[in-house]
Amino acid sequence: MVEAIQVQLKKGVLEMCVLALLSRGDAYGYDIASRLAAGIEMGEGTIYPLMRRLQADGLVETYLVESASGPSRKYYRLTGIGRSRFEAQKTEWTAFSSAVDAIIGGVQ
Amino acid sequence: MTRHQFLDRLRLGLRGLPPAAVAEIIGDYETHFDDAHAAGRDEASVAAALGDPDRLARELRAEAGLKRWEAERNPSAAANAIFAILGLGAIDVLILLPIVLSIFGTLFGFACAAVVMFAVGAVMMVLGPVIVQGAPIAALILAGLGLVALGTAFGSLTAIGGVVFTSILVWYGRLHVRVLKPALDAQGGMA
Repeated sequence: MVEAIQVQLKKGVLEMCVLALLSRGDAYGYDIASRLAAGIEMGEGTIYPLMRRLQADGLVETYLVESASGPSRKYYRLTGIGRSRFEAQKTEWTAFSSAVDAIIGGVQ
Repeated sequence: MTRHQFLDRLRLGLRGLPPAAVAEIIGDYETHFDDAHAAGRDEASVAAALGDPDRLARELRAEAGLKRWEAERNPSAAANAIFAILGLGAIDVLILLPIVLSIFGTLFGFACAAVVMFAVGAVMMVLGPVIVQGAPIAALILAGLGLVALGTAFGSLTAIGGVVFTSILVWYGRLHVRVLKPALDAQGGMA
């Protein structure tokens, strides 16, 4: 049951985490996947369907960077819509989590 | 699982999507394997960390199906989206199927009624004066015109009903894919 709640929480905040990561700087797929996997133990593969959805929703966009070795690399960056979506989610999350903290802290 | 097996199963699961989209998706995962290799990780552990390729393919297909429904609201896109959601196992088919079938059955009945009304109205308008002797011609034509208009209105309402219902279903399915399904998988021990 604890495990189920954890997975549910992680899936719910995954989008917000990706947006947060990109708000600090552009990144490429493996970079995003490995940083998030290390932080919140997500299946690395789920990043790619999520990135496609964010792109289709206009929250992120991609551009190619030529690399000296091998093929050019696809980078993701936030769009204006993505940035304002992140700000809204962050505000909501902060209010929600401090309310939950107050409640579960008060129970002890 | 090797890199080759992972990509093969993913490619197999993505059949039916536009070739350009498949190439792009496969490219993303190939780059992922390349980058992981450069970081010194072995293929098997990278494939394991990526997760089940069949499930990833179903998620990607469902997303594509839902996008298509949002872009073009026609029966084929609706069927596509509904089957994509059902394929994900996001909705309990046994519970939902009777509801879906009865609603679509009702909508189908309404559509048939609309077509019949339209046809009868058209016939009455054009041939009524010829077949029914003695009745005032203007009354027959007006009655026929009324039926045609009623049939059209009925048909439009049915179409709107279908669009609204499919949208609700898609919304419901998405909610479950994003929130409930991972939790259910975790309970089944295959997160």
